[in-house]
Amino acid sequence: MSVYEKYETVVGLEVHVQLSTKSKAFCADDTRFGARPNTHISAISLAYPGTLPRLNKKQVESAVKLGLAIGSKINQESRFDRKNYFYADLPKGYQITQDASPICIGGQLTINANDAERTIRIHHIHMEEDAGKSIHDMSPKSSFIDLNRAGVPLLEIVTEPDFRSPEEVDVFMNTIRQLVRYLEISDGNMEEGSMRCDCNVSVRLKGAETYGERCEIKNMNSMRFARRAISYEVKRQIDLIEAGGKVQQQTLNFDPVTGITTPLRDKEDAHDYRYFPEPDLPPVHLSDSFINNLKTQMPPLPQELFKQFTSKFSLSDYDATLLTEEKETALFYLDLVKNTPHHKAAANLLINKIKPYLNEQKSSVATFPLSVKSLADFIQLIEDGKVSNTIAYQRIFPALIETPTQTPLAIAEKLNLIQNADEDFLQQLVQEVIKKYPDKVTTYQKGKKGLIGFFMGEVMRLSKGKADPKATNALLRKVLEKQ
Amino acid sequence: MNVDEALISKLEKLARLQLSEEEKTRITSDLSNILDMVAKMEELDTSKVEPLVYISEEVNVLREDVVQNQLDKATALKNAPEEDIDYFKVPKVIDL
Repeated sequence: MSVYEKYETVVGLEVHVQLSTKSKAFCADDTRFGARPNTHISAISLAYPGTLPRLNKKQVESAVKLGLAIGSKINQESRFDRKNYFYADLPKGYQITQDASPICIGGQLTINANDAERTIRIHHIHMEEDAGKSIHDMSPKSSFIDLNRAGVPLLEIVTEPDFRSPEEVDVFMNTIRQLVRYLEISDGNMEEGSMRCDCNVSVRLKGAETYGERCEIKNMNSMRFARRAISYEVKRQIDLIEAGGKVQQQTLNFDPVTGITTPLRDKEDAHDYRYFPEPDLPPVHLSDSFINNLKTQMPPLPQELFKQFTSKFSLSDYDATLLTEEKETALFYLDLVKNTPHHKAAANLLINKIKPYLNEQKSSVATFPLSVKSLADFIQLIEDGKVSNTIAYQRIFPALIETPTQTPLAIAEKLNLIQNADEDFLQQLVQEVIKKYPDKVTTYQKGKKGLIGFFMGEVMRLSKGKADPKATNALLRKVLEKQ
Repeated sequence: MNVDEALISKLEKLARLQLSEEEKTRITSDLSNILDMVAKMEELDTSKVEPLVYISEEVNVLREDVVQNQLDKATALKNAPEEDIDYFKVPKVIDL
């Protein structure tokens, strides 16, 4: 047993989710990403004296929705605190956050990692604001400050130390991403920094009751980097302990180029944030009716839909995962199966044809031209054996997109694609194929029954896809057995 | 409360101030006085009194999520001691 196997990895996360509100947390500046530097600012985000913050209602609603989705207790009397520190991209000298009484308390999220279900407990969710952005590489002497992001609303989700591998962290982050997108409270875009996390990493001997000393890796905005950072940090801590050392509580930075973590500050230099209640913002009192109103606005959640798709519609886990990735697709599927009893065929159509089509068009189901009724008819046409699956997907689907007002049947007839089960029609084709390949017929009759596929293919080709496969198969067998 | 050199040095760090020896002596005495006064107040039994955080009784002062009242960049940068065409410029700092 390698020495590393003696230890267990323990990780807790602080996930920052940037909300997709139009305006900032405490003032009316625009929040859009990618604007020219210092164009989305005001006297409040610049922290001019005499200004007062005012809380964005949408931030409160977003926090409650996320709390409801993960089963938190909604704290009906929450308030804000000041977290004091000096940094150039924080003009006020403090960040407005919630320390003593956050808006959501507790909750949990079940994830599926390495084929095992794991429950991650949530400690709390609180509301806060983002800082501005510092750019250090534009001049040797100065840092450049862009305050567009200063005051953009964030939710911070703090988990218990329940992760036991970097993979679980990865899956959790993706699950949160999917959830915030379903709730439409954030775009969950990691590349643009809409989701970032700090990872608290420690190790302990397997079976140990207490946690080891932890180190915090700051600001991971790529899951690939987070996985590497955690793996590196776990190895570093184990090596240190095995060499007789002790892990010191530290804040670390991960360098994706070198792949190693380096200390930003030690415990002695740890920030003393001197939290105290923010007197400029009145407390937030949430009535039952406010919360109940948000409950009625909750969309179906991905994990519920997954269960419904696998149980009620008998879809495979794989299909259900693909269909529930995005809310629009899942809801479209639900709409579609209201119109057709062929649940699996509907899933196939959505996964194999409609989604690739939409990707190609860089479009979404919202603007998809075909109605679910028309798609249900399309599926029925295949299920009735009037057209083959291949013909339907390759010929009828594109024609339907061109003329969405026509029925799939009308298009199939117009393009002369209806399958033919007429005995005379099939007999003629079968005879032609048999005459053409006497050797293969002999081989078949000597017992190589697998050749039926070859004969089927030939008949289909001759019929230009119109021969009814079932009737053709039956007739081919009958004729071949007789000879 | 005992105001010693260690405390003064910690406060200097937190407030990003560098005090001269003379200022340190003065502030040590000022701080002692202030803290003594606070200690005096602590003699009162406040165990049954809720801390007063807010002077006003207002709750839920919320705004609708609407964009308005932004400053243009030129106005915003006007009061900066140093600026670039797009940015505020500050002495180089690297920390997270």
